[in-house]
Amino acid sequence: MLNSIRPKTRVILAYLFIPVALYVFAVFIPLGTAAFYSLFKWKGGPHKTFIGFDNYVALIKDKIFWESFSHNIYLVVACIIGQIGLAFIVVLMINSRLVKFKAIHRTFGFFPSTISAVYIGFLWLMVYDYKRGILNWFLDLIGKSDSTKVWLNEPSLVMLLIAIPLIWQFIGYYMVIIISAISSVDTEIFEVAELDGANAFQRAVYIIVPLIKNTLLVCVTLCVAGNMKAFDHIYVMTVGGPGNDSMVMALYGYTVSFAQQNMGYGSAISIGIFLTSLVVIGGVQLLVHVLTKEKGEKI
Amino acid sequence: MKEAKAPSGYSVVSLIKTKILSIFLNLVLIIFSLSCIFPLVWMFYSSLKMKRVFNADVIGLPKSPTFSNYIKILTNKDYHIFNSMGNSLRTTVISVVLIVVFGFIVGYILSRISFKGNRILYALFLMGILIPIHSLLVPIYVVFNKFGIGNQWYTLIIPYVAFGLPIAIFLVEGYVKAIPVALEEAAAIDGSSFTRTLFSVIFPICKPILTTIGIISTFACWNEFSFALVLMKNPKLQTVPLAMTQFTGQFSSDYPKIMAAMLITMAPIIVFYFGFSKQIIKGMVAGAVKG
Repeated sequence: MLNSIRPKTRVILAYLFIPVALYVFAVFIPLGTAAFYSLFKWKGGPHKTFIGFDNYVALIKDKIFWESFSHNIYLVVACIIGQIGLAFIVVLMINSRLVKFKAIHRTFGFFPSTISAVYIGFLWLMVYDYKRGILNWFLDLIGKSDSTKVWLNEPSLVMLLIAIPLIWQFIGYYMVIIISAISSVDTEIFEVAELDGANAFQRAVYIIVPLIKNTLLVCVTLCVAGNMKAFDHIYVMTVGGPGNDSMVMALYGYTVSFAQQNMGYGSAISIGIFLTSLVVIGGVQLLVHVLTKEKGEKI
Repeated sequence: MKEAKAPSGYSVVSLIKTKILSIFLNLVLIIFSLSCIFPLVWMFYSSLKMKRVFNADVIGLPKSPTFSNYIKILTNKDYHIFNSMGNSLRTTVISVVLIVVFGFIVGYILSRISFKGNRILYALFLMGILIPIHSLLVPIYVVFNKFGIGNQWYTLIIPYVAFGLPIAIFLVEGYVKAIPVALEEAAAIDGSSFTRTLFSVIFPICKPILTTIGIISTFACWNEFSFALVLMKNPKLQTVPLAMTQFTGQFSSDYPKIMAAMLITMAPIIVFYFGFSKQIIKGMVAGAVKG
């Protein structure tokens, strides 16, 4: 920060004004507004009644909200295991000398993550469809017609069926991130380990994982942030149903605010989403920070 | 003799083992890759079927392929398909340009120029990476309604730029730090103004990171759904994902038609992706890891 290149203060202000104003307007003003309206009973019309913290008391007791929260956590856990875990296994395979077409696997594997979640939702809706779905077609094919069902109407299965499209969509994404992390490690280490007689499993767990630990932790934080905001594909596939068995927080806030026109309580839910997500995302980031600092490595 | 034979016997076994392993690995990965691309292929050939043919056989190739689904979609103005693509294109292009330009300017100033509140401003933007954006879904609707700026052609650009800025600023800030200050000093001594140095000296150097930002934001804006859903009620201004949810609601029983519409609206992204997949993958990964 040198003075010789420092422009006049009004030049700086002129450059900063629009982006900062835009940012504050779209992020902090809505947050403040939500905090304000959360103290009112308000149906979106001109009349609103001040009710203090009643909305928050209701929110803390609101079973559906906490159920939605637990569904978000379910998605986070399922995707950490499914996306990062499977991606890691795929990377181990792809890095083998025996594998051909590596570039094509990368290009194809990454492709689903570039598509809108809405499309992914439609696609899997067609997979799960009762009469015309690929899943039931396959079950018919292998002679298990009696286990065909209206898949997304199964309360006990719906969260898993919702998680599968997400996992499938992002395996390639994490795969590419992990590949680039491994390729920056000196390959001699792997060769030496192989000569020393370490088998593939040992090499993966004792050599590769510690070396790319920081990248794996970055993947975890991405996964957490991504799944706390799950909305699009669930809106398309189940709208939170059957009942509230696949409801997630963002969708619940949306439903209460727009379908039930309960804007006051919807604002309280928004603040609830803000706080719970912040605690989860912030908590994980803090944990990751501590874990990465421990060894003093650099990402 | 025995001793000489043993190793060669061993190597034959290991050769077979390697061969089996190689077949296994390649097969699993090919299945994985196909699962990622098959939906696209399946959607394409299924979209060439009529509804009745598809319902009778969901997986088979069309016996008499027809483009009638495409023709219907492209000729019927009520579907808003082209309209929505135009809206998405406009929103995405303007948002991405603004994110790149604003991100560049703010990132540069925060990294190089000392002024009161520099660090506070930086922290404010960094918070944007941490703030759960989805909690703003309802509040942003309330605010936009109050200010009467919902349902306009520019409505979506505001949140898209605001949400894209933090990561852009963060990436530019880090990138500019690595550029030697001597460069700007030399330019200043030569009489170049701040603005001129910014755009004709620093901007070209930052191109790689700005490309990364551009790629990330392009996909983010084109694919964004939830904010478009709450802010855009006017069907003439809807973006592609939103228009698709309406379209599928209307033709929920006609899968081939839905597939045709999906493929038409996906086409720009597919072309963009397979045309520049190397740069796109590199950019997305760089952005994700550094963020």
